[in-house]
Amino acid sequence: MTNSSTGTLRRIVAFGLVAVTLAACNNKRVSRVDPSSVTDLSGRWNDVDSKLVANALIDQTFSGPWSGQFSSAHGGVPPTVIVGSFRNRTLEHVPIGTFVKDLERAYVNSGRVRLVASRDERSEVRDEREDQQSNASAETRARIGKESGANYMLQGDVQAIEDAEGREKVVFYQIDAFMVDLESNQKVWIGQHKIKKYIDRRRVGW
Amino acid sequence: MHTMTRIVTRTMMNITLKAGVLACTAALLAACNGPRRISERPIMYNGDRTPSQDRIIAGAAAEGYSDNAMLTQARDSVYAKAVATCRGTVCASVVKGEISLGMTPAQAMAATRTAPAAWTVRESGAATVMVPRVLGSSPRDATGEVVMVQFDDDRLNAVSYRETQGIRVVSSAADTTTDGRATAMADALIREGDQFNAAGDRVRALDRYDRALALKRADAMLEYKVATMLDLQLRPVEAQIRYQRFLQSLEIERIQARGQANAQLADAIARAQQRLIVLERQAPASAPAPASVPPEDQMMSVPPGSR
Repeated sequence: MTNSSTGTLRRIVAFGLVAVTLAACNNKRVSRVDPSSVTDLSGRWNDVDSKLVANALIDQTFSGPWSGQFSSAHGGVPPTVIVGSFRNRTLEHVPIGTFVKDLERAYVNSGRVRLVASRDERSEVRDEREDQQSNASAETRARIGKESGANYMLQGDVQAIEDAEGREKVVFYQIDAFMVDLESNQKVWIGQHKIKKYIDRRRVGW
Repeated sequence: MHTMTRIVTRTMMNITLKAGVLACTAALLAACNGPRRISERPIMYNGDRTPSQDRIIAGAAAEGYSDNAMLTQARDSVYAKAVATCRGTVCASVVKGEISLGMTPAQAMAATRTAPAAWTVRESGAATVMVPRVLGSSPRDATGEVVMVQFDDDRLNAVSYRETQGIRVVSSAADTTTDGRATAMADALIREGDQFNAAGDRVRALDRYDRALALKRADAMLEYKVATMLDLQLRPVEAQIRYQRFLQSLEIERIQARGQANAQLADAIARAQQRLIVLERQAPASAPAPASVPPEDQMMSVPPGSR
């Protein structure tokens, strides 16, 4: 092989390497997509599951008779609800807050349920009210002892069952939510949603 | 030579065939024992859209709004009717949200801020009974949870409340006062204490008697019950104090007691005095001896209803 042909080959290889490097630098693509679109990548808990759970629970909570019964027993006054603990009993990270906040939004915006701040939220509000007692003018001061007591507490949990063999996996999520009467401990409403996912990790596919 | 080659070839083919059949059988058996492939049809694919929550919320809001508007309208018309027909203290009770004797059904509803939808009304002659339509979601007035309202000739003559110690019935003017309520609650606590005492749970019985005593201070027999409970629980110092308080309070009680009640009190006095002597003798000892435990039949001879 002559010197000139070796040089040409070297140039081609160098050019190829530069092209590959440039292409690698440009591999990130970001695009906005519709939040309601179904985008399953890994098969783990994702935004679609959260939305499906929220939709199901909102639908079930309004189709149940509990809020209507309370309102009719109290002259049209809707029940007051406090959000209690929603436990994630799976081994996966499940952000509970996403669908619980959807549920809270539905309660408030529908006007059929009144919502009071939860334990974590109200401590900040109480601190502010306490501060107003010494720093705000008398006519603008928020008064103490006028908080609304809740009639019901919303509680729930998320549980998962996994079954895997080879490259196939089935994950089952069960989301239970219930409304408990704060005086009598009676469960006046139970909502439930189940999600079953089949994940097939094929080596070759199109 | 040729025949030999043919035999070898045939034998080889046979072995290969048998091995093939065996391998196929093994593969089939293995497949039988392996996991089944899932052939369920998916219900959602990538690229699909999840339904919007806003539509569900808007539907619920519209439905809730019309229901609540209807209930509020009914409640307001009942309230207007109640206020238009009331007089004096009944009017004040309606405004305060307190059911009181002598009210009409509309006034009772107005006092609980409810509409007819909250109640089931049953009538029999001149008597009318109103009970909550949904159990567990009873209407309330300023006093508590109302479980039954009774009317005689369209005038309220009894109202029942669900309280911690059970149902409390208000059927006279005395029951409606704060003292009347406290007495009713104390009586319920005493009944509960008697039940615990009968079941042998003296700690809970003492707790109920103590709570009743906080509501009903001038009850000598209750003081006696507390003293006996402390005595039975081997708490001599406290028992001694309670026996003394019981005997001191009797000066007034003795004057008030009449007939049978007087005789029962006399029995309690005698027992309290006996126990005081025993406890005072034991006082120097550091700890009460098991022998000092009074026989239960002597201690608890006062029947629950003897007060």
